[in-house]
Amino acid sequence: MTDNDRLNERLEQAAREYHRPPATPREEMWARIAAERAARREAPRVIELRPWLRWGLAAAAVLVVGVAIGRVTAPPSSDRAANVAQATAASSDLAYRVVAAQYLSRTEALLTGFRAEARGGRPDAQFAGQARDLLLTTRLMLDSPVAKSQRMRVLLEDLEVLLAQIATLPTSGNKEDVQSITQGLEQRSVLLRLRTTVPPGTQGAL
Amino acid sequence: MDERDLIARVRAGDGAAERALYDTHVDRVYRLAYRLAGDDDLARDFTQETFIRAFERLDSFRGESALSTWLHAIATSVVLNGLRKVKRFRGREADLEAADAVPGGGGRRAAEPDLKERLHRAIDGLPEKYRMVFVMHDVEGYTHEEIGVALGVETGTSKAQLSRARAKLREALADFAGEWVS
Repeated sequence: MTDNDRLNERLEQAAREYHRPPATPREEMWARIAAERAARREAPRVIELRPWLRWGLAAAAVLVVGVAIGRVTAPPSSDRAANVAQATAASSDLAYRVVAAQYLSRTEALLTGFRAEARGGRPDAQFAGQARDLLLTTRLMLDSPVAKSQRMRVLLEDLEVLLAQIATLPTSGNKEDVQSITQGLEQRSVLLRLRTTVPPGTQGAL
Repeated sequence: MDERDLIARVRAGDGAAERALYDTHVDRVYRLAYRLAGDDDLARDFTQETFIRAFERLDSFRGESALSTWLHAIATSVVLNGLRKVKRFRGREADLEAADAVPGGGGRRAAEPDLKERLHRAIDGLPEKYRMVFVMHDVEGYTHEEIGVALGVETGTSKAQLSRARAKLREALADFAGEWVS
Protein backbone atom coordinates (compact mmCIF):
# COMPACT_ATOMS: atom_id res chain seq x y z
CA MET A 1 0.00 0.00 0.00
CA THR A 2 1.44 3.37 -1.05
CA ASP A 3 1.40 6.52 1.07
CA ASN A 4 -1.26 7.89 -1.24
CA ASP A 5 -3.48 4.84 -0.67
CA ARG A 6 -3.04 5.17 3.07
CA LEU A 7 -3.91 8.83 2.91
CA ASN A 8 -7.04 8.06 0.89
CA GLU A 9 -8.04 5.39 3.38
CA ARG A 10 -7.62 7.77 6.31
CA LEU A 11 -9.51 10.40 4.40
CA GLU A 12 -12.45 8.05 3.87
CA GLN A 13 -12.47 6.98 7.51
CA ALA A 14 -12.46 10.56 8.74
CA ALA A 15 -15.06 11.62 6.18
CA ARG A 16 -17.55 9.10 7.57
CA GLU A 17 -17.56 11.13 10.76
CA TYR A 18 -18.48 14.30 8.87
CA HIS A 19 -21.74 15.68 10.30
CA ARG A 20 -22.63 12.27 11.68
CA PRO A 21 -26.43 12.21 11.89
CA PRO A 22 -28.27 11.29 15.08
CA ALA A 23 -31.15 8.78 15.04
CA THR A 24 -33.87 9.87 12.62
CA PRO A 25 -36.65 11.71 14.51
CA ARG A 26 -39.30 9.80 12.55
CA GLU A 27 -42.37 10.40 14.64
CA GLU A 28 -41.80 14.11 15.20
CA MET A 29 -41.21 14.77 11.52
CA TRP A 30 -44.16 12.63 10.49
CA ALA A 31 -46.48 14.50 12.86
CA ARG A 32 -45.55 17.78 11.16
CA ILE A 33 -45.81 16.37 7.67
CA ALA A 34 -49.24 14.89 8.42
CA ALA A 35 -50.46 18.17 9.96
CA GLU A 36 -49.23 20.19 6.99
CA ARG A 37 -50.78 17.72 4.53
CA ALA A 38 -54.10 17.92 6.36
CA ALA A 39 -54.01 21.73 6.29
CA ARG A 40 -53.28 21.66 2.57
CA ARG A 41 -56.20 19.36 1.85
CA GLU A 42 -58.50 21.85 3.56
CA ALA A 43 -57.18 24.95 1.80
CA PRO A 44 -55.67 25.22 -1.66
CA ARG A 45 -52.25 26.82 -2.08
CA VAL A 46 -52.15 30.44 -3.03
CA ILE A 47 -48.80 30.56 -4.73
CA GLU A 48 -48.12 27.83 -7.26
CA LEU A 49 -45.10 29.14 -9.12
CA ARG A 50 -43.48 25.96 -10.45
CA PRO A 51 -40.26 26.47 -12.44
CA TRP A 52 -41.89 26.21 -15.88
CA LEU A 53 -44.76 28.40 -14.69
CA ARG A 54 -42.49 31.23 -13.57
CA TRP A 55 -41.37 31.99 -17.11
CA GLY A 56 -44.90 31.55 -18.39
CA LEU A 57 -46.18 34.03 -15.83
CA ALA A 58 -43.41 36.47 -16.59
CA ALA A 59 -44.24 36.29 -20.31
CA ALA A 60 -47.95 36.64 -19.54
CA ALA A 61 -47.24 39.68 -17.37
CA VAL A 62 -45.33 41.36 -20.19
CA LEU A 63 -48.15 40.53 -22.58
CA VAL A 64 -50.82 41.83 -20.21
CA VAL A 65 -48.94 45.06 -19.63
CA GLY A 66 -48.39 45.46 -23.39
CA VAL A 67 -52.05 44.87 -24.15
CA ALA A 68 -53.10 47.28 -21.40
CA ILE A 69 -50.80 50.00 -22.72
CA GLY A 70 -52.09 49.44 -26.26
CA ARG A 71 -55.68 49.70 -25.16
CA VAL A 72 -55.13 52.73 -23.01
CA THR A 73 -53.42 54.57 -25.86
CA ALA A 74 -56.14 53.58 -28.39
CA PRO A 75 -59.32 55.73 -28.84
CA PRO A 76 -61.74 54.99 -25.94
CA SER A 77 -64.93 52.92 -26.08
CA SER A 78 -66.95 51.17 -23.36
CA ASP A 79 -65.72 47.66 -24.41
CA ARG A 80 -62.16 48.80 -24.43
CA ALA A 81 -62.52 50.32 -20.98
CA ALA A 82 -63.79 46.98 -19.65
CA ASN A 83 -60.90 45.12 -21.28
CA VAL A 84 -58.39 47.53 -19.82
CA ALA A 85 -59.90 46.99 -16.37
CA GLN A 86 -59.58 43.19 -16.77
CA ALA A 87 -56.02 43.40 -18.00
CA THR A 88 -55.07 45.72 -15.17
CA ALA A 89 -56.63 43.39 -12.60
CA ALA A 90 -54.73 40.36 -14.00
CA SER A 91 -51.48 42.31 -14.02
CA SER A 92 -52.06 43.49 -10.47
CA ASP A 93 -52.78 39.93 -9.27
CA LEU A 94 -49.53 38.69 -10.81
CA ALA A 95 -47.59 41.53 -9.23
CA TYR A 96 -48.97 40.62 -5.80
CA ARG A 97 -47.98 36.99 -6.30
CA VAL A 98 -44.45 37.92 -7.28
CA VAL A 99 -44.05 40.27 -4.33
CA ALA A 100 -45.52 37.65 -1.98
CA ALA A 101 -43.05 34.99 -3.18
CA GLN A 102 -40.10 37.34 -2.66
CA TYR A 103 -41.38 38.41 0.74
CA LEU A 104 -41.93 34.83 1.94
CA SER A 105 -38.48 33.82 0.76
CA ARG A 106 -36.79 36.70 2.62
CA THR A 107 -38.81 35.96 5.75
CA GLU A 108 -37.85 32.29 5.62
CA ALA A 109 -34.16 33.21 5.39
CA LEU A 110 -34.44 35.60 8.33
CA LEU A 111 -36.27 33.14 10.56
CA THR A 112 -33.88 30.30 9.69
CA GLY A 113 -30.91 32.51 10.54
CA PHE A 114 -32.56 33.73 13.73
CA ARG A 115 -33.32 30.22 14.93
CA ALA A 116 -29.73 29.12 14.31
CA GLU A 117 -28.28 32.10 16.20
CA ALA A 118 -30.81 31.83 18.99
CA ARG A 119 -29.41 28.42 19.89
CA GLY A 120 -25.93 29.83 20.22
CA GLY A 121 -26.94 32.67 22.55
CA ARG A 122 -28.30 36.11 21.87
CA PRO A 123 -29.09 36.75 18.19
CA ASP A 124 -27.40 39.63 16.38
CA ALA A 125 -29.13 43.03 16.39
CA GLN A 126 -29.25 42.97 12.57
CA PHE A 127 -32.23 40.60 12.84
CA ALA A 128 -34.29 43.33 14.50
CA GLY A 129 -33.74 45.80 11.67
CA GLN A 130 -34.60 43.25 9.01
CA ALA A 131 -37.63 42.08 10.98
CA ARG A 132 -38.92 45.68 11.10
CA ASP A 133 -38.67 45.96 7.29
CA LEU A 134 -40.45 42.66 6.83
CA LEU A 135 -43.08 43.53 9.41
CA LEU A 136 -44.19 46.47 7.30
CA THR A 137 -44.45 44.24 4.23
CA THR A 138 -46.36 41.64 6.27
CA ARG A 139 -48.99 44.20 7.17
CA LEU A 140 -49.27 45.32 3.57
CA MET A 141 -49.65 41.68 2.54
CA LEU A 142 -52.42 41.19 5.08
CA ASP A 143 -54.37 43.99 3.39
CA SER A 144 -53.71 42.66 -0.12
CA PRO A 145 -55.53 40.06 -2.27
CA VAL A 146 -52.80 37.57 -1.27
CA ALA A 147 -54.45 37.30 2.16
CA LYS A 148 -57.81 36.28 0.72
CA SER A 149 -56.89 32.65 1.29
CA GLN A 150 -57.53 31.57 4.88
CA ARG A 151 -54.35 29.51 4.94
CA MET A 152 -52.18 32.39 3.77
CA ARG A 153 -53.88 34.80 6.16
CA VAL A 154 -53.13 32.52 9.12
CA LEU A 155 -49.50 32.21 8.01
CA LEU A 156 -49.16 35.99 7.61
CA GLU A 157 -50.70 36.56 11.04
CA ASP A 158 -48.22 34.13 12.61
CA LEU A 159 -45.39 35.88 10.81
CA GLU A 160 -46.62 39.27 11.97
CA VAL A 161 -46.43 38.14 15.60
CA LEU A 162 -42.98 36.58 15.22
CA LEU A 163 -41.50 39.50 13.31
CA ALA A 164 -42.91 41.97 15.81
CA GLN A 165 -41.26 39.99 18.63
CA ILE A 166 -37.91 39.91 16.82
CA ALA A 167 -38.13 43.59 15.90
CA THR A 168 -38.44 44.55 19.59
CA LEU A 169 -35.68 42.26 20.86
CA PRO A 170 -32.80 44.76 21.17
CA THR A 171 -34.67 46.80 23.80
CA SER A 172 -36.53 44.10 25.68
CA GLY A 173 -34.59 41.04 24.62
CA ASN A 174 -33.41 38.41 27.04
CA LYS A 175 -33.08 34.65 26.91
CA GLU A 176 -36.75 34.11 27.75
CA ASP A 177 -37.86 36.41 24.91
CA VAL A 178 -35.65 34.59 22.44
CA GLN A 179 -36.88 31.25 23.71
CA SER A 180 -40.48 32.33 23.36
CA ILE A 181 -39.90 33.27 19.72
CA THR A 182 -38.18 30.00 18.85
CA GLN A 183 -40.93 28.06 20.63
CA GLY A 184 -43.53 29.91 18.57
CA LEU A 185 -41.61 29.02 15.44
CA GLU A 186 -41.52 25.33 16.33
CA GLN A 187 -44.99 24.90 17.78
CA ARG A 188 -46.73 26.51 14.82
CA SER A 189 -44.41 24.84 12.25
CA VAL A 190 -43.93 28.28 10.75
CA LEU A 191 -40.76 27.48 8.81
CA LEU A 192 -42.20 24.33 7.31
CA ARG A 193 -45.32 26.23 6.20
CA LEU A 194 -43.16 28.97 4.74
CA ARG A 195 -40.86 26.59 2.90
CA THR A 196 -43.69 24.66 1.35
CA THR A 197 -45.54 27.79 0.31
CA VAL A 198 -42.61 29.12 -1.70
CA PRO A 199 -41.41 26.61 -4.33
CA PRO A 200 -37.62 26.02 -4.24
CA GLY A 201 -35.68 28.47 -6.35
CA THR A 202 -38.57 30.87 -6.81
CA GLN A 203 -36.78 33.79 -5.24
CA GLY A 204 -33.89 33.44 -7.64
CA ALA A 205 -36.05 33.66 -10.71
CA LEU A 206 -38.26 36.51 -9.61
CA MET B 1 -46.31 -4.58 -1.11
CA ASP B 2 -44.31 -3.62 -4.18
CA GLU B 3 -43.43 -0.04 -5.04
CA ARG B 4 -46.03 0.34 -7.78
CA ASP B 5 -48.86 -0.74 -5.47
CA LEU B 6 -47.59 1.57 -2.79
CA ILE B 7 -47.50 4.53 -5.17
CA ALA B 8 -50.98 3.73 -6.48
CA ARG B 9 -52.34 3.65 -2.95
CA VAL B 10 -50.68 6.94 -2.03
CA ARG B 11 -52.14 8.52 -5.16
CA ALA B 12 -55.55 7.24 -4.11
CA GLY B 13 -55.17 9.09 -0.80
CA ASP B 14 -54.34 6.11 1.44
CA GLY B 15 -52.78 7.56 4.61
CA ALA B 16 -51.26 4.23 5.69
CA ALA B 17 -49.50 3.97 2.33
CA GLU B 18 -48.14 7.49 2.74
CA ARG B 19 -46.71 6.47 6.07
CA ALA B 20 -45.25 3.27 4.60
CA LEU B 21 -43.57 5.25 1.83
CA TYR B 22 -42.22 7.71 4.39
CA ASP B 23 -40.92 4.91 6.63
CA THR B 24 -39.13 3.28 3.71
CA HIS B 25 -37.20 6.37 2.67
CA VAL B 26 -37.02 8.77 5.58
CA ASP B 27 -33.76 7.53 7.09
CA ARG B 28 -31.76 8.01 3.92
CA VAL B 29 -33.28 11.41 3.18
CA TYR B 30 -32.72 12.65 6.73
CA ARG B 31 -29.16 11.32 6.82
CA LEU B 32 -28.30 13.10 3.59
CA ALA B 33 -29.97 16.33 4.75
CA TYR B 34 -28.10 16.17 8.05
CA ARG B 35 -24.75 15.42 6.44
CA LEU B 36 -25.15 18.40 4.14
CA ALA B 37 -26.68 20.84 6.62
CA GLY B 38 -24.76 19.79 9.74
CA ASP B 39 -27.72 21.00 11.77
CA ASP B 40 -30.62 19.01 13.17
CA ASP B 41 -33.26 21.73 12.76
CA LEU B 42 -32.35 22.36 9.15
CA ALA B 43 -32.15 18.63 8.41
CA ARG B 44 -35.64 18.14 9.84
CA ASP B 45 -36.99 21.09 7.84
CA PHE B 46 -35.47 19.79 4.62
CA THR B 47 -36.70 16.24 5.20
CA GLN B 48 -40.24 17.38 5.98
CA GLU B 49 -40.30 19.66 2.97
CA THR B 50 -39.00 16.87 0.75
CA PHE B 51 -41.83 14.52 1.71
CA ILE B 52 -44.53 17.17 1.48
CA ARG B 53 -43.36 18.09 -2.02
CA ALA B 54 -43.01 14.44 -2.98
CA PHE B 55 -46.56 13.58 -1.92
CA GLU B 56 -47.88 16.59 -3.79
CA ARG B 57 -45.98 15.75 -6.94
CA LEU B 58 -46.42 12.00 -6.91
CA ASP B 59 -48.89 12.24 -9.79
CA SER B 60 -46.05 13.48 -11.96
CA PHE B 61 -43.84 10.48 -11.13
CA ARG B 62 -43.73 8.39 -14.31
CA GLY B 63 -41.77 5.45 -12.95
CA GLU B 64 -38.87 5.97 -15.34
CA SER B 65 -36.48 5.73 -12.40
CA ALA B 66 -36.78 4.15 -8.96
CA LEU B 67 -38.95 6.07 -6.53
CA SER B 68 -35.95 6.54 -4.22
CA THR B 69 -33.99 8.17 -7.05
CA TRP B 70 -36.88 10.53 -7.80
CA LEU B 71 -37.29 11.30 -4.11
CA HIS B 72 -33.59 12.08 -3.75
CA ALA B 73 -33.76 14.47 -6.70
CA ILE B 74 -36.40 16.40 -4.74
CA ALA B 75 -34.35 16.15 -1.54
CA THR B 76 -31.14 17.46 -3.11
CA SER B 77 -33.03 20.35 -4.71
CA VAL B 78 -34.69 21.23 -1.39
CA VAL B 79 -31.39 21.01 0.52
CA LEU B 80 -29.40 23.01 -2.04
CA ASN B 81 -32.00 25.77 -2.20
CA GLY B 82 -32.39 25.83 1.56
CA LEU B 83 -28.66 26.01 2.18
CA ARG B 84 -28.26 28.77 -0.41
CA LYS B 85 -30.85 30.87 1.42
CA VAL B 86 -29.13 30.30 4.75
CA LYS B 87 -25.74 31.06 3.21
CA ARG B 88 -26.98 34.27 1.61
CA PHE B 89 -28.35 35.40 4.91
CA ARG B 90 -25.19 34.54 6.80
CA GLY B 91 -22.98 35.87 4.02
CA ARG B 92 -20.58 37.83 6.16
CA GLU B 93 -20.30 35.11 8.76
CA ALA B 94 -19.66 32.47 6.07
CA ASP B 95 -16.90 34.56 4.52
CA LEU B 96 -15.16 34.78 7.85
CA GLU B 97 -15.42 31.02 8.36
CA ALA B 98 -14.11 30.31 4.88
CA ALA B 99 -11.14 32.60 5.46
CA ASP B 100 -10.46 30.68 8.63
CA ALA B 101 -10.52 27.37 6.77
CA VAL B 102 -7.96 28.30 4.12
CA PRO B 103 -5.83 25.25 3.31
CA GLY B 104 -2.23 25.03 4.43
CA GLY B 105 -1.52 27.48 7.21
CA GLY B 106 1.56 25.61 8.41
CA GLY B 107 2.56 28.47 10.69
CA ARG B 108 -0.54 27.94 12.81
CA ARG B 109 -0.04 24.22 12.95
CA ALA B 110 0.43 24.01 16.69
CA ALA B 111 -2.87 25.76 17.28
CA GLU B 112 -4.77 23.60 14.77
CA PRO B 113 -7.53 21.26 15.95
CA ASP B 114 -7.14 17.56 15.26
CA LEU B 115 -6.94 16.20 11.75
CA LYS B 116 -10.53 15.07 11.68
CA GLU B 117 -11.77 18.52 12.46
CA ARG B 118 -9.41 19.97 9.91
CA LEU B 119 -10.80 17.60 7.29
CA HIS B 120 -14.36 18.51 8.19
CA ARG B 121 -13.59 22.17 7.79
CA ALA B 122 -11.97 21.44 4.44
CA ILE B 123 -15.13 19.60 3.35
CA ASP B 124 -17.22 22.58 4.47
CA GLY B 125 -14.99 24.78 2.34
CA LEU B 126 -15.47 22.76 -0.87
CA PRO B 127 -17.49 24.35 -3.67
CA GLU B 128 -21.14 23.45 -3.24
CA LYS B 129 -21.40 20.87 -6.04
CA TYR B 130 -18.12 19.14 -5.15
CA ARG B 131 -19.23 18.91 -1.53
CA MET B 132 -22.60 17.51 -2.56
CA VAL B 133 -21.02 14.78 -4.70
CA PHE B 134 -18.34 14.00 -2.11
CA VAL B 135 -20.85 13.66 0.72
CA MET B 136 -23.28 11.62 -1.35
CA HIS B 137 -20.63 9.23 -2.69
CA ASP B 138 -17.86 8.94 -0.12
CA VAL B 139 -19.85 9.59 3.03
CA GLU B 140 -23.34 8.23 2.32
CA GLY B 141 -22.48 5.62 -0.31
CA TYR B 142 -24.65 6.76 -3.23
CA THR B 143 -23.66 5.48 -6.67
CA HIS B 144 -22.64 7.88 -9.42
CA GLU B 145 -25.81 6.90 -11.28
CA GLU B 146 -27.95 7.92 -8.31
CA ILE B 147 -26.02 11.15 -7.89
CA GLY B 148 -26.31 11.93 -11.59
CA VAL B 149 -30.10 11.61 -11.52
CA ALA B 150 -30.47 13.48 -8.23
CA LEU B 151 -28.34 16.41 -9.33
CA GLY B 152 -29.40 16.36 -12.97
CA VAL B 153 -25.86 15.77 -14.29
CA GLU B 154 -24.15 13.04 -16.32
CA THR B 155 -22.54 10.16 -14.45
CA GLY B 156 -19.17 11.24 -15.85
CA THR B 157 -19.67 14.72 -14.40
CA SER B 158 -20.36 13.22 -10.99
CA LYS B 159 -17.14 11.15 -11.21
CA ALA B 160 -15.13 14.17 -12.33
CA GLN B 161 -16.51 16.33 -9.51
CA LEU B 162 -15.72 13.64 -6.95
CA SER B 163 -12.19 13.37 -8.24
CA ARG B 164 -11.74 17.15 -8.00
CA ALA B 165 -13.25 17.21 -4.53
CA ARG B 166 -10.84 14.54 -3.31
CA ALA B 167 -7.92 16.35 -4.91
CA LYS B 168 -8.90 19.58 -3.17
CA LEU B 169 -9.16 17.79 0.16
CA ARG B 170 -5.78 16.13 -0.27
CA GLU B 171 -4.33 19.51 -1.16
CA ALA B 172 -5.93 21.10 1.90
CA LEU B 173 -4.47 18.41 4.14
CA ALA B 174 -1.11 18.02 2.41
CA ASP B 175 0.86 19.29 5.38
CA PHE B 176 -0.60 16.48 7.50
CA ALA B 177 0.08 13.70 5.01
CA GLY B 178 3.19 12.45 6.79
CA GLU B 179 1.37 12.07 10.10
CA TRP B 180 -1.65 10.41 8.55
CA VAL B 181 0.20 7.65 6.76
CA SER B 182 2.66 6.92 9.53
